[in-house]
Amino acid sequence: MSRGEIAINEQLCKGCGYCVRFCPQSCIAIPGDRFSPQGYLLAVFTEPDKCNACSICGWMCPEFAIDVYRYVEAETPSA
Amino acid sequence: MPERILVQGNESIGWGAISAGCRHFFGYPITPQNEITDFFARELPEIGGVFVQSESEAASAAMLYGAAAAGVRVITSTSGAGWGLMQEGMSQLANAELPCVIVNMQRGGPGQGTTRHAQMDYLSATRGGGQGGYKTIVLTPASVQECHDLVQLAFHLADKYRNPVVVLGDGILGQMAEPLERSTIEFDPLPEKYWTIRGMGERDAETHNFISCGQGGVIPVLPYTSYGAFLQRLEEKYQAMSADEVRYEIYRIEDARLLMVAYGSTARVCQEAVDMARAEGISTGLLRPISLWPFPTDVIRQKAASGTEFLVVEDSLGQLVDDVRYAVEGKSQVHFLGILDRHLPTDGGMILPNRVLDEIKKVS
Amino acid sequence: MTEKKELVYTKPELKLGYGWGHCPGCHHPIVEKLVCEVLEEMDLAGRAVGVAGVGCSFGFFASINIDGANCAHGAAPAVATGIKHALYGKPLVFTIQGDGDCAAIGGGYVLNAAARGEKITIIMVNNANYGTTGGQLAPTTIMGQVTSTTPHGRNAGQGYPIHLPELLVGMQGVAFTARAAPFTPAGYLRAKSYLKTAFQRQLGEAGLTFVELLSACPPNWHMTPLEAIQWMEDKMLPEYPEGIFKDSGGEQ
Repeated sequence: MSRGEIAINEQLCKGCGYCVRFCPQSCIAIPGDRFSPQGYLLAVFTEPDKCNACSICGWMCPEFAIDVYRYVEAETPSA
Repeated sequence: MPERILVQGNESIGWGAISAGCRHFFGYPITPQNEITDFFARELPEIGGVFVQSESEAASAAMLYGAAAAGVRVITSTSGAGWGLMQEGMSQLANAELPCVIVNMQRGGPGQGTTRHAQMDYLSATRGGGQGGYKTIVLTPASVQECHDLVQLAFHLADKYRNPVVVLGDGILGQMAEPLERSTIEFDPLPEKYWTIRGMGERDAETHNFISCGQGGVIPVLPYTSYGAFLQRLEEKYQAMSADEVRYEIYRIEDARLLMVAYGSTARVCQEAVDMARAEGISTGLLRPISLWPFPTDVIRQKAASGTEFLVVEDSLGQLVDDVRYAVEGKSQVHFLGILDRHLPTDGGMILPNRVLDEIKKVS
Repeated sequence: MTEKKELVYTKPELKLGYGWGHCPGCHHPIVEKLVCEVLEEMDLAGRAVGVAGVGCSFGFFASINIDGANCAHGAAPAVATGIKHALYGKPLVFTIQGDGDCAAIGGGYVLNAAARGEKITIIMVNNANYGTTGGQLAPTTIMGQVTSTTPHGRNAGQGYPIHLPELLVGMQGVAFTARAAPFTPAGYLRAKSYLKTAFQRQLGEAGLTFVELLSACPPNWHMTPLEAIQWMEDKMLPEYPEGIFKDSGGEQ
């Protein structure tokens, strides 16, 4: 299972909660103690080790605020 | 020798548009301009053009909006209620600065009105009938030949100022037939249409073109910096049109103490009345505006200052007369002969030369 | 074995800046995202021209890097007709409209563009009310739904919901109609595939294509975004089922 990571742009997130709701691995939450500059409750990537880079959170985000990464083996340079 | 053909004013509009390189017409049937719609349906496909009959005149204005945004020369023609339905669309065209030609062969109003001639859309044409207070140049032919010529001028001015232009005729002009010499009129070169939306691939561009008819809230008003800057641009454009695009024709006014002011087919009636009056020793003349907006205010103002009196003759209850009174500023008498002075009360009634002659005698 | 972090998902390239700033939970930006992704995947950005109607989609082409315009309320299908014919059918032409823009004031435009079989794609975003003006009754408002102009819930005296994809099926000029609800991952993928098919049918000159996309409107529904998509699940989907209602084929 590939391993992933997301980055939530805190300038853009409006705390709608769609990423939280549809992440199959429940990696994202709105703890309620983090605010965006405009005062929205921020979504936070709370369970990084469970993320498999499926990108569903990215699709569901109306604010284009989520980038998704995947960890891939880098070819080790031949000796 | 240019080709001479005997055609109606309506058809002459069509030939003029084709001479101007227009290959796209979107319009809706309405009397008394149907021959224009039918002309384009018949002729455009023959020369690789496009005719689309719209579902309403509001739709015609929207189709013009699209075709003009795509950068082609485009025209529609209408009358009466159709003209009424187009007012909002014209305001949108004026905001988005989209060049196109709108022909209105006026008919009797208000409401459904009549299917015959009249000159009752003067104010809605010259003041902008839609919302917001925009300006459009309004050209008004008085002969079949001039229909052909002014349509070509209209396309040129539309592209010169990136603005809709109105060609204002009437039912008589549209239905009457006169010889027409078809020709392509040459004009000064025009600015390039860098702003069109044809797909970025068409112009090998990396950034898009965006045409907007609104400057609300967070919508950027590219290329202007604000709504105020946008209005400043419109004002400068309208000032330039007012300064450079006034057109009128004078007929035997050298020594005239009484000057008639009339446009379109009514001007033809007045021209005959001038000849009849002069034959009876009464010195009178005619000033015929060709651009109703911008209106020939200055020449009328100068004449008024030198004591000339005016007789405005128009086929309405009184609209052109307002502009003449405004120009004269009370410095001399402005008499009025209107639709109630037609020879018959029916919708076919007309203001005839002898009635004008009687009025000339009465006010002289 | 060393690992490398690879970017697999981000804002579509065609999306410039961050747009018009819709309300939290609104799906209009999702429609922007879908259109951008489809145009990129079909490599049509250079050939596309769009027209946005009046409402929450009015600013669509201000922040999408394809040639586009907005226009008078309801008139987008006629403007699109003008563009398509001006350029002799060459570009891919589509509209982005709301339910009021498309089905109320624009009803005649849609019906006649369909009757003419215009080779355009109409995308209607259905949020069951007039969004920008504060949540009034729209043609797509559901029976019993409270809006600012149906304060006691829409009743028979105020008409019945309009289902345009189903309505347009019977028109010969129409090649493809469908509806998707991109508020779930599956709905998002359905929406994407329907948009692709619609564009393919247009390029294949099969006729007019119509895609309705459902959207939440949390502020006007007086709900949180999550309550709104629950309401969509419970109330909107039964009234506005997803699916393809007509597809006359005609691969591009």
